[in-house]
Amino acid sequence: MAQPVSEKVFHTEDLVKTYQTGSTEVRALDGVNLDLFATELTVLLGPSGSGKSTLLNILGGLDAATSGRVEFRGRDLTELSDRALTKYRRDHVGFVFQFYNLVPSLTARENVQMVTDIAPNPMSAEEALARVGMSDRIDHFPAELSGGQQQRVAIARAIAKRPEVLLCDEPTGALDSTTGVQVLEAIRHVNEDLGTTAIVITHNAAIQAMAHRVVRFQDGNIASVSTNDTRLKPTDIEW
Amino acid sequence: MHALDIKLLRDFQRLWGQALAIALVLACGVMILLTAFGMHRALDDTLTAFYDRNAFADVWIDAEKAPRGLLKEIAEIDGVQIVEGRIQKYLMLDLPGRVESATGLALSLPESGDLPHLNIPILRSGRLPSVSATDEVMVSEPFAQANGYQIGDSFSVLMSGQKRLLTITGTALSPEFVYAIGPGSLMPDDEGFGILWMPQATLEAAFDMSGAMNSITLSVSRDAREDQVLNDLDTLLDPYGGTGAYGRELQTSNAFVHTEIAQLKNMATILPPIFFGISAFLVNMVIGRIITLERAEIGLLKALGYTDLHIAVHYVLLAGLTAVLGIIIGWGTGGMSARWMAGQYADYFKFPYLIFNVSYDAYAISGVLALLTAALGALRAALGAARLPPAVAMSPPAPPRFKRSAFDRMMNAARMSQPTMMIWRSILRWPVRALMSAVGLAFAVAVMISVGFFSHSLDTITDIAFTQSNREDAVLLFAQERPLSTLEEVRRLPGVLEVEGELYAAVKLRHGHLEKQLSITTRGAGATLARSIDTNGHVAEPIGDGLLITNRVSEVLDLQPGDLVEVEFMTGRRETHTLAISAVTEQFFGLGAFMTRDAMAALQRRAPHISVANVTLDADQADAFNQQIKDTPLIASTVRVTDMKDGFTESIDENISVMNGLFIIIAVLITVGLTYNSARIQLSERARELASLRILGFSNWEVSYVLIGEIMLVALLAQPIGWLIGYGIGVLMANSFSSDLYNIPLVLPPAAYAQASVVVLGTALASVMVVRRRIDRLDLVSVMKTRE
Repeated sequence: MAQPVSEKVFHTEDLVKTYQTGSTEVRALDGVNLDLFATELTVLLGPSGSGKSTLLNILGGLDAATSGRVEFRGRDLTELSDRALTKYRRDHVGFVFQFYNLVPSLTARENVQMVTDIAPNPMSAEEALARVGMSDRIDHFPAELSGGQQQRVAIARAIAKRPEVLLCDEPTGALDSTTGVQVLEAIRHVNEDLGTTAIVITHNAAIQAMAHRVVRFQDGNIASVSTNDTRLKPTDIEW
Repeated sequence: MHALDIKLLRDFQRLWGQALAIALVLACGVMILLTAFGMHRALDDTLTAFYDRNAFADVWIDAEKAPRGLLKEIAEIDGVQIVEGRIQKYLMLDLPGRVESATGLALSLPESGDLPHLNIPILRSGRLPSVSATDEVMVSEPFAQANGYQIGDSFSVLMSGQKRLLTITGTALSPEFVYAIGPGSLMPDDEGFGILWMPQATLEAAFDMSGAMNSITLSVSRDAREDQVLNDLDTLLDPYGGTGAYGRELQTSNAFVHTEIAQLKNMATILPPIFFGISAFLVNMVIGRIITLERAEIGLLKALGYTDLHIAVHYVLLAGLTAVLGIIIGWGTGGMSARWMAGQYADYFKFPYLIFNVSYDAYAISGVLALLTAALGALRAALGAARLPPAVAMSPPAPPRFKRSAFDRMMNAARMSQPTMMIWRSILRWPVRALMSAVGLAFAVAVMISVGFFSHSLDTITDIAFTQSNREDAVLLFAQERPLSTLEEVRRLPGVLEVEGELYAAVKLRHGHLEKQLSITTRGAGATLARSIDTNGHVAEPIGDGLLITNRVSEVLDLQPGDLVEVEFMTGRRETHTLAISAVTEQFFGLGAFMTRDAMAALQRRAPHISVANVTLDADQADAFNQQIKDTPLIASTVRVTDMKDGFTESIDENISVMNGLFIIIAVLITVGLTYNSARIQLSERARELASLRILGFSNWEVSYVLIGEIMLVALLAQPIGWLIGYGIGVLMANSFSSDLYNIPLVLPPAAYAQASVVVLGTALASVMVVRRRIDRLDLVSVMKTRE
């Protein structure tokens, strides 16, 4: 499968993010220039501390850059107010985290409803859960679900708003390979069926095989970008 | 329902123990507010209604004997609306089946045979006595009830030396005697003191008062200048032995009821803020901790697009639910206790009915206050949650930064064990939190001390009033002032061992612009029965022509030993003299001033007189003494000091133990609310740390020590703070309970502090032990696995 030719969703220019820890300054992002395109599934690879998560947080409007530009469909995110960033996240972005971050006091359906309650044009919680194959566990609490099931609920929660971008931070990091594959399947479905731009962070190199493009990070910057001419299905990936 | 609301309810359900502990403290504030407000309003409404409907007079003046013709002149005083003259006399009663004598206050009913126009008695049973009947009487209802009298029953009364049998035709209650207290008594005694309404003609004939009166009551218009009316009255009655006109504020019954009403108001203002303050602190502590534990969830909510407002409101609502629980409990118990207490008051004060309107405003105010308290407590934490940047919220908090300080060197030098060091480090790392917890617990200690002092104060009052000051067995009140030689007659009564006389003279004391009406007590030098005790506990006697005053008089007139005071006599020659204050004495009932018999006789330019005789009695001859008293015309009434003391301690002890019990419960609730929540929070914060200790091989108890140690150390630190605050509140309470009628000294022996500390420390230990059991159940593996 070739990379679809389409419009730019994200565009970054000289993106820098520094943190102060104690007396030392850590440069998490060191002048990143990157374009990401609609309907593309991109995998960000790299060792921990290489800046992948920081980039994802900034793209998702969770964190602010120290300098440089981030555009979402031509709009500069760095200039948005806190309120506008909140609206941006609410309307356009779906997040999936390594540790699922489900609310333990809410059932699978209710966790998804957290999003459908506030999103402008959501699908139903039932539909979102059906898309990740969780229809039969809809009224279970997180504690009653396996790790893979919890992550699929988290994906259902992320896609229920019909986001333009799905940002996944180590979605399989806490899972064994069998359940990890189920989660990656769910992400692929969302990308293909709904045309959602997906960005998946992983340090598991095997996963890059399912991406349209692979961006490798090293020391806060992009080391290389490659395009897969042929993509594997998650079920065909082995790790 | 929104998913966020479902989360709210589930969180509340999960936190029910902590929420309940806070809610109960909040409920205490709501309950006390409602009870005090409710009782205050019931008492005020009932009193106002009773006064209005039964034309409670505005002004009173007593005289020796004034012609009825004077009423016309009084009516012409500017502002006077209704004026009535009557005859009033204290009578010695001989009640069938009662060994001791009793006292009756006889009041004449109008000649017309109707009810009076002022201070209208409300007929409770039977009828008024007939105008012409000389042996009929209507009595006050509490007197009839206490003695078990029915309509038609009879008792004897001594009138001008003659014993007469009177038959009860009816019972009544009067706005003048809502709090009916006999002459010389400290508290109502329904069995031994009654109001007797009798036809005017009967009293006129018995006391040689034909066409005369000795008590005048009047009502004045709303815009009248009362002080002017009082002055005019004094001038008019002066030639007839007027003893000084006074308004409602000096009318005994009214003054007592109003003192009580004022105290209820004080209670409503002093105590609830303490509870609300503690609740706000607890809410802050618990919500703050929940937010720390839910950082990830808050980050998630933000990532999902929830706004800051959504998040802040979410946590404020969690506090709001706690407040609602507290309000429901507070309203439930407060509503019931207000009604019950109002009933008790209606019983204590003699009201014919009780107007208990539910004070919706009190419900609204207490509810709003409780909600505000919780919201304020939650606000800081909730705003903090809203401000958490989403990315930061989702990464675990950095480990708290501990720094080496001088304390560490001290701890090292003290060779503390590692767990002990953990306890101290934690307190030193969060000193504000430890201090706030300590202050909260200090309030629990303070609440107990601030009420606990009452029983000690009353012991002091009883000791000074009865053991040291009033050592006589009985006080005999003469019908008129008598020459000193009357003491010999008293000495001849059967069973009398010692006898001493006292003279009471009604005066106005003036110091600058300050003025008080009271009576000066005159005693012979070296009196041993009734005597004054100074503030150091020594016997104090007036010296020369100096005046000894009580501490309350010293306060209200701003008089110190050596100051000069103007004394206007309201009887006799009505002269005004200037006297020096020789000393200040301790007295807890009423206002008082004392001088020597010789000095008084010199001022009055007559031989020494007495108005009462204090006696000690031979217990074996008590019956003979009592029998003889009932037939002695010279004596108008008697006060049994021993009975009075017993009655006083009995009625007070009961109230005090109820109140102490209530405040122990309150202190326990505050302590549980604080320590249970602290311990739960500690445990959740330190679960990893404590589990690590367990894995490293520490025993359950060694690990528990870290948890218990920190809480109990804070509780210990709270004690001295609590003692100080308790003392402060005690001063406030003692001041607020003090009036011209009585004042309560602040007496706080070490036992009072100890009791409060034992209760609070014991409760704190019990609460933390309940939480400690969770350490036994700590799932070591899963705790180590959780991310935080």
